[in-house]
Amino acid sequence: MTTTLSSRVDSRIQQKPARRIQPARVLVYAVLIIWCLFSIFPLLWMVGVSLKPVTEPIGGLNSMIPQRLTFDNFAKVATLLPLARNTLNSLIVASLGTLTTVFLCALAGFAFAKYNFPGKNILFYVLIGTMMVPPEAGIVPTFMIMRWLGWTNNYLSLIVPRAATAIGIFYMRQYIGSFPNEVMEQARLDGCSEFRIFWNMVLPVVSPALAAWGTLAFIARWNDFMYPLLFMTSKNMYTLMVAISKLPVSESLSTPWPVIMAGSVIAVFPLVVIYLLLQRFQVSGLQLGAVKG
Amino acid sequence: MERLMSHNGLLQRMWKHRFAYAFISPFYILFLIFGLFPILWSFYLTFQDWNGLSPMRSIGLRNYTALLRDSTFHEALSNTTIYWIVDVVFILSLGLLFSSLLHNAWLKGGKTFRVVLFLPYVTATVAVGLVFNMVFDFNSGLVNSILASLNLKPLPWLNSIEYSKVPVMLLNIWRVMPWYMLIMFSGLQAINPEFYEAATVDGAGPLQKLIYITIPGLAPILFFCFLTETIESFRIFTEPFILTGGGPGASSLSIVLYLYQNGFMIFKMGYASTIAYALTFILLVISAGQFFFLRKQSSLLEDSSS
Repeated sequence: MTTTLSSRVDSRIQQKPARRIQPARVLVYAVLIIWCLFSIFPLLWMVGVSLKPVTEPIGGLNSMIPQRLTFDNFAKVATLLPLARNTLNSLIVASLGTLTTVFLCALAGFAFAKYNFPGKNILFYVLIGTMMVPPEAGIVPTFMIMRWLGWTNNYLSLIVPRAATAIGIFYMRQYIGSFPNEVMEQARLDGCSEFRIFWNMVLPVVSPALAAWGTLAFIARWNDFMYPLLFMTSKNMYTLMVAISKLPVSESLSTPWPVIMAGSVIAVFPLVVIYLLLQRFQVSGLQLGAVKG
Repeated sequence: MERLMSHNGLLQRMWKHRFAYAFISPFYILFLIFGLFPILWSFYLTFQDWNGLSPMRSIGLRNYTALLRDSTFHEALSNTTIYWIVDVVFILSLGLLFSSLLHNAWLKGGKTFRVVLFLPYVTATVAVGLVFNMVFDFNSGLVNSILASLNLKPLPWLNSIEYSKVPVMLLNIWRVMPWYMLIMFSGLQAINPEFYEAATVDGAGPLQKLIYITIPGLAPILFFCFLTETIESFRIFTEPFILTGGGPGASSLSIVLYLYQNGFMIFKMGYASTIAYALTFILLVISAGQFFFLRKQSSLLEDSSS
């Protein structure tokens, strides 16, 4: 079967002329490039307008390139918002949130993947079942709980509730499943505790999965909007997303577009830069074997 | 005696695995406090009239009857259904298209394409929403100035009942499609390349390869994408919040935005909880339906292959 197939392929290849421009391939490149432009266009537009004086028009296509570069808009945003503080809030929430979720999801995923404890299947079905219920189902009481705990205007309200997520545990379980049992047995004979096995042996091996999951968690938390909007009510505790969402109506009159765009640039670009620097970790670790399992 | 032994055996096995329970416990503890407890309390609230401060007043099923008669809720529900259908269709088909294009073995610069195409998913909905606000502005927006230069009439994208859903959907599709593209791309890499080679030898075109190799091979992943995007698009909030505030009228209002307005702007907490339960009910019905459909489908596939 395979020999006949490969010989057929060979004969086909031999018949083909060596080099020729194929219209289909040109079309593929064209479609990809067009969508790439479409993908980066809003970002370019954002940067272009943020560097314009507020007096220049923002209508036509050519207005993306400012006639006169200015950083005044960034200075203006800083007077409207406690910008450094907002950035710090976003950084704290996103990084602590990511660290806790990566650690706790890997730990639970490890337990589900490697131990046969009583009730494991039921507990796992419960875990999967929680994914079907939208978090909004309990959003009103969640808000009241945060008030009672005194967690409004507190980083804990954005870090703790989602410190361990079902989808993260599910993904980690898939990935850790392939870790060899023999290595664990050997470590146990050498007197390693189960947590030591996890910390010293499993975590380093699954670091690509940790990086992939961590990237996704960081993106989600940095860009999170509804929860910080609900739980952070004082200007100093706003995350960047909440802060810039209030820009258009700040000072009770409409803020000029270039100033709003300067705020958007500040909110978007830290993450874009981190993403471009770290893109080798990009979701390559996320082989969605996770889905098939 | 024997039963007692096996009972002890179970306890012993549980004790032996106590660390495993400790490892998984954070999720369940957090879920009890911030998941299950609020959801149950929310159910109780659906029978109450409450503004969050004054004592609750039990009103029986009045929140439910009000919801059934609330024309604003009906509009939010139909808007959200439109968002769901349009977003799922475009996101999944574009995701499939671009993941297939990226999967071509002869493609050069595939990695660069992937990085650039994934960028929208990295950018914040809020920030791009503000860009869309500017670009779709009636007077000074880019879209209308392009329309004008083509001698077409400018359209009131953000402030007319007819068009206000368009920017909302466009923003959602623009930002979310790359995520599904990437999932499908990793799924495609698991399909045996010999299938494609054999199909090429047999003279199959791209469309036939798509129908007979890619879609069956990706079926579990496509189902996963369909399910998660259904849940996500029913939860749409940020896009209408930033772009239109749900308006004009309720023409772009989504269920979760209406929930937010009721619960956190006019503090009708009982009514907001009822909206939340309606959303949960809809999603559970859709999920159950999809699982049922998948089971029928997969048994169908097994029969035909044997």
